[in-house]
Amino acid sequence: MATTVRKFCNRFSVCKVSFSRLTNFRTDGITLRCNLKNRQFQSSAAILATIKLDMPSLSPTMEKGNIIKWHKKEGDTVSPGDALCDIETDKAIISMDTEETGILAKIIAPDNTKDVSVGSLIALLVEEGEDWKNIQIPADVAPKASISAPQAQQTLAPPPSAPAVSSGHIPVEHGHLIGPSVKKLLQEYNITSSSIKPSGPGGALLKGDVLNYIESKSLNKVTQQAASPVKPEAPAKSAQPKASEKSTPVPGAKFVDIPLTNMRRVIAKRLTESKTTIPHAYASIDSNMGPLTQLRKTLLDDGVKISVNDFIIKAAAFALQRVPKVNAIWANDGPRLSSSVDISVAVATPNGLITPIVKGASYLSVDQIGSTVKELSGRAREGKLLPHEYQGGSFSISNLGMFGITEFSAVINPPQLAILAVGSSRHEASIKGNQLKMNVTLSYDSRAVNEVEATRFLEEFRNVIENPQTMLSGTNLDSAAEAFVF
Amino acid sequence: MLAVTRLSLIQNSLHKCGILGTVQVCHLSEATHNVTPYKLHRLDQGPNTTVTYTREDALKYYKQMRMIRVMETTAGNLYKSKIIRGFCHLYSGQEAIAVGMEAAITPEDSVITAYRAHGWTYVRGVSVHAVLAELTGRKTGCANGKGGSMHMYTKNFYGGNGIVGAQVPLGAGIAFAHKYRQEDNICISLYGDGAANQGQLFEAFNIAKLWNLPCIFVCENNGFGMGTSAARASACTDYYTRGDYVPGLWVDGMDVLGVKEATRFAKDYVLKNGPILIEAFTYRYHGHSMSDPGTSYRTREEVQEVRQTRDPIGKFKDVIVNSGLVTNAEIKKIEDDVKKEVGDAAELAKTDPELPLEELYSHIYMNPPQDMKVRGCDDTVFASTK
Repeated sequence: MATTVRKFCNRFSVCKVSFSRLTNFRTDGITLRCNLKNRQFQSSAAILATIKLDMPSLSPTMEKGNIIKWHKKEGDTVSPGDALCDIETDKAIISMDTEETGILAKIIAPDNTKDVSVGSLIALLVEEGEDWKNIQIPADVAPKASISAPQAQQTLAPPPSAPAVSSGHIPVEHGHLIGPSVKKLLQEYNITSSSIKPSGPGGALLKGDVLNYIESKSLNKVTQQAASPVKPEAPAKSAQPKASEKSTPVPGAKFVDIPLTNMRRVIAKRLTESKTTIPHAYASIDSNMGPLTQLRKTLLDDGVKISVNDFIIKAAAFALQRVPKVNAIWANDGPRLSSSVDISVAVATPNGLITPIVKGASYLSVDQIGSTVKELSGRAREGKLLPHEYQGGSFSISNLGMFGITEFSAVINPPQLAILAVGSSRHEASIKGNQLKMNVTLSYDSRAVNEVEATRFLEEFRNVIENPQTMLSGTNLDSAAEAFVF
Repeated sequence: MLAVTRLSLIQNSLHKCGILGTVQVCHLSEATHNVTPYKLHRLDQGPNTTVTYTREDALKYYKQMRMIRVMETTAGNLYKSKIIRGFCHLYSGQEAIAVGMEAAITPEDSVITAYRAHGWTYVRGVSVHAVLAELTGRKTGCANGKGGSMHMYTKNFYGGNGIVGAQVPLGAGIAFAHKYRQEDNICISLYGDGAANQGQLFEAFNIAKLWNLPCIFVCENNGFGMGTSAARASACTDYYTRGDYVPGLWVDGMDVLGVKEATRFAKDYVLKNGPILIEAFTYRYHGHSMSDPGTSYRTREEVQEVRQTRDPIGKFKDVIVNSGLVTNAEIKKIEDDVKKEVGDAAELAKTDPELPLEELYSHIYMNPPQDMKVRGCDDTVFASTK
């Protein structure tokens, strides 16, 4: 799309240049010569007779290419199927063929030109019999060769063929370029450039012109919500979506910019840090959920309602106690074992995931865990968590099972060493008949935790889940034991 | 390999012209042309090897072939500028087949081909603009920009088909429809030398012969199934014999007049006797698709040699200019007209609007109920369809 627009604009500017203001146009040291009288004839004739060769996209992912070597030199005859030059794409060196008949008149990008954007002019052909030595270089060569794709997209986003774009965007109806600072001013004050009289050379609109105009009309800045940066704020308080964050599509543009909230920015930074610096390794295990389902049913009959998630947190706490190397954080240059089992539980909020911590999970009974999680996640959704309630923690659990995800792997929450991704329970046929199975996947930092420890942790976890009575009866015993140890 | 062309002027044309030496300045109305001998399989008699053609024919065929060539070159360039994305298979080199066959059938006859469909779409009546706009995904494309390279259709042209070989049984079905409705029409089902080894072709041959369907099966043998040469993929490369009990004939697919005559013969034959198989021996200049530079399994010299000695357009130009029917100036004019028409079409194809997003959900069912909704890519999107 961008290429289309760019080409169209270039064509447009060629016409402009060749018929109106050619005299003061210079490109790359090549001054377009000739007087006004024969210029019109000559430029239009030369341009008509010329076949432009653009840098082709020779692989689906190619953005730029290097010209390695030209097989033809200026003045050589070219016929369909001839290899013109070798181009190095992002993947390989491929020769560029042509389907044209003519004479290679001018090589714009010679041998060993690096990083030529796809769509930039690399050579000109003229038809046979034309005077190839007298070729005119189109005026748009320089901007085209140097312009980078994203820039082009921004400045030329509204297709010129479309009718003038509505408010908020300056209609580009003038025949000259506008500098970025001038453009910004026009946007800020919502002025159309045609309403100001330009005083620059060749009718260029200067910043001074705009400033004078603003002063004379005593205009005020038009506030633009989409453009204003979001104020940094504490992540806990940014849970509610703000009005200013509502994405406003720029008229005429084919994209919507969503301003980053501070919380999102932190999440992005930490996740990137995690995935790029921590060597993630993964291990999965299936647990039979039959006994746990049975136990929950019994408890429910007694009027005690405990969710599967609460049992999972408890089971993980058990397993962490038994494999303490997983219950640790990475501190500067090595793992540091945590003295208590503090489990961060991922909670989805309108602004992203936040992980309130169930502290001392190994000391808490399952129903205590349940009420703690309920209370914390409620406040998390309202954005009312205090920093110490979501910062720290020695291990994380992310449970998407309740949303129907059968299995997934999670990104480690640094500086922790591991995170457990919990899938949903599903029926599976086995030798013992129909079983309810649940998959959990442990992502662990392989700098500090090895396969054996990860496996042991998962085995312990499964043992507890498959013998859920332990979680009810063992609580007090364990906390006593732990109190003794530490 | 080269068709031997003998200038043979028709008597009455000579009279009109007066002196033979002034051939260049007057227009003859007819000429004859000698076709490379056909090869026959289970046929006692083949098509005529001497064909007569008129000046109008010559101009029309030349223009059509030229149009396809320039259109395909333009499509290739648009692809390399990333304006056309996705699949794109170019027909350059094979133009004489589409043009020659179309010249021998009527608009009521049916054609179905594989994914190298641009040239066929054009000869079946779709404008160059609608073909290019289809490739660039615009509303003005012949399938509203929803089909792209492999899925172009028009009346009695059943497409562009993406599944290798699958169009052949469909073609037999179309032929069956013609027979069932007692129409005097036929169906041409085209496939490549690569698809020729597909099992479903032989199933189609069987039922077509069993019921004597008016179907011309055409193997466009361009020498390569993707990057594999015919000899490396087929135990028997005489594709015109591969129908076994279905009669076949081989024709030089680079000779538009030969193809036309073979098709005329075949249409006549299938309406009386049931299916026939034509192998049109041709060549493709581009790679299989845009991701194939086309030079890793054949040499550049081989391609250049074909371009110089067998090119359907260049060769035909020589034939019609040498016969005195057409002048070089007329050729030049056609070339300029074609260049302009394709250039204008390409500009439109770049700037025409795209379909609105809601159109994603249309054309799924024929006449759906009023309030019918269809699911999007995920189950959160339900949109009405029409």
